[in-house]
Amino acid sequence: MNHSARRVLSGFGVAVMATALALPVAAQDSATYHIGASNTLQGNGWREEMICSIKAQALSSGQVSQLTVAHRNTDAAGQISDLNDLINAGVQAIIVNPVSPDALNDVIKQATDAGIVVVAVDLAVTEPSAYLFSNNQEEYGYVGAKWLFEKLGGEGAVFYMRGAAGTSADTDRDTGFRRAMAEYPGITLAGEVFTGWDIAQGAQQINEFLASGVPFDGIWTSGIDSTIVDALVTAGAPLVPVVGADNAGFVEQLATIEGLEGAAVTNPGSVGGAGVTMALRVLAGEEVERQVLITPEVWDNTTPEGQAAIAAANDPAIDGTWPLGISIPDWTTYTKDEIIACAGPGE
Amino acid sequence: MSVATATSDRAPISATVLRVLRRNAWLLGLVVLLAAMLLLTRIIQPTYGAAGIDSLARAALPIAFAAVAQAVVVIAGGIDLSVGSMMALTNVAAASMMHRQGEEFGVVAVVLTLILGIALGITNGVLVVVTRVPDIVVTLALSFVWAGAALLVLNTPGGGAAQWLKDLPVGGVFTEWVPSAMVLLLVCVGAVWLPLRRRRSGLALYAVGSDRLAAFRSGVPIARTKVLSYALCGLFSAMGGLALSAATGIGTPTPGPYTLLSVAAIVLGGVSLAGGRGGLLGCIIAVLILRLVRTDLTFLGVDPNYATVIEGLIMVAVVMVGAVVALRRKPA
Repeated sequence: MNHSARRVLSGFGVAVMATALALPVAAQDSATYHIGASNTLQGNGWREEMICSIKAQALSSGQVSQLTVAHRNTDAAGQISDLNDLINAGVQAIIVNPVSPDALNDVIKQATDAGIVVVAVDLAVTEPSAYLFSNNQEEYGYVGAKWLFEKLGGEGAVFYMRGAAGTSADTDRDTGFRRAMAEYPGITLAGEVFTGWDIAQGAQQINEFLASGVPFDGIWTSGIDSTIVDALVTAGAPLVPVVGADNAGFVEQLATIEGLEGAAVTNPGSVGGAGVTMALRVLAGEEVERQVLITPEVWDNTTPEGQAAIAAANDPAIDGTWPLGISIPDWTTYTKDEIIACAGPGE
Repeated sequence: MSVATATSDRAPISATVLRVLRRNAWLLGLVVLLAAMLLLTRIIQPTYGAAGIDSLARAALPIAFAAVAQAVVVIAGGIDLSVGSMMALTNVAAASMMHRQGEEFGVVAVVLTLILGIALGITNGVLVVVTRVPDIVVTLALSFVWAGAALLVLNTPGGGAAQWLKDLPVGGVFTEWVPSAMVLLLVCVGAVWLPLRRRRSGLALYAVGSDRLAAFRSGVPIARTKVLSYALCGLFSAMGGLALSAATGIGTPTPGPYTLLSVAAIVLGGVSLAGGRGGLLGCIIAVLILRLVRTDLTFLGVDPNYATVIEGLIMVAVVMVGAVVALRRKPA
């Protein structure tokens, strides 16, 4: 009894020592960077693409020895503790998709004070020591809405399917949407719902809306788009103009469904990979602009230019919920296969 | 076994010690588990030290308040699924009151927020008692009401927090190894719970939770005790909401994962979901353990999708071990 217990203990001790010795050696061997990433929403196509582009770019750069990813469903306080964990893990740079522009300021300041490069992607933070690589969300709301209102000839009722209530990406897009509405006084809202960027919820809401019989002339969606078109087709409802994101499934619908008029507004998830490049450039001591904002494009299947953009982008190899902007010129170097493989350094 | 006989032969003092140890076996197990986890973390990440402990305590703060809130209700035989929503509502209420206000007004805002929390809790409790609808249904329904109200107060993350509130959980007391966040938590929970526990009303919480009918026949006021448990839950939830304010400096109207985390923590912390058993200290240690598991999974670079599964499996395993231990002890 005593003997075996001792043997187990000494075995454990050896294992412990081996682990303790192995880890630091591995880190010292390669004179390259340890990078951290933090994200607060799982199971969403856009965010999954972002994570995969971070992994693929870290691998493709050849400068990253270790990538630590904190990717889970959590709130602002949870993201703060994730960022603290990344700081304690000894990373040299952090790519963060911030849950809110203000909530993380203290911990970001703490990181940058410790010499860690922090790059916010997707959404800005108000802490000035952080870098930013993002899509312009207010513009996203504006350009899509403007296209729709123009398409309707400035008159009509629009079903407005927003994102998640209380998130700043949603409120920024709403600001842009309302700006476009102010320019087209003939446009009214047939209804307004929050999909929570959740496919099942969006499907239920469009079906309830169709069943209600409220007349509508167009639909603006905040990224739950192919689901909405599917619902219209299934219900045999009139195919009104639909605005969505550049998600692979929706773009394919724009290219293939007869009689569907719509526009995809680009919102690449590959800003994550671009953020890695940005961080590596800062670490290498290069001059880097503090903020890089990508202006969304409108791919409209009713004009030749839009059709060309859709035909060029449409790619059945990409998961239907992923945005088609899988790479950003000058900022990402991985191939399509690499981002789809979704493997980071050491995987 | 041999240790037990040796000590009981010697003196009654060691027997008392043994009895206390046995009575608090679960708590003791949690402490040992926490110590083992800290050691493991140190092995995984050799630089893990005072800074790590400090961020652990700060990360645990809002969850610990949620767990304590849930524990009080569950001990009294109920369950409150609106903890997360109450935290969101008190968080945005505090944030909008403190927005662009002076530091002194922050004190008023904190007091008002705590009162709001108590009021929300009393509403939960009174509805449970008056309607006789099961606790789980009433509090689930009200969780949507509180979450909606939070969006009415602030439709997007915003507002502010007094600087002193943000500074409260930062740093250490006397030494960097004793995190202020932990001291703050123990003081806040202790100030409410310790005076109450030995009183009639505190004992009534346990009595109602363990056997409602027996408690009623012994003259324990059931309705008042139930409402008290929900009021305390609301109060601790408001402290959790203020902890979110302190951590983030703003108010966030969307409820975080606190309801589920609170239930997980109390189960691991040794509170019986059937009511009447358990304490608050175990729940607090359980929150630290659960946080540390998450930190370790991040350090180890475990695939995030597996990490969630692993967290769940650890919970199940620990609770099952606990159930086996409890069953073994019963016949003796």
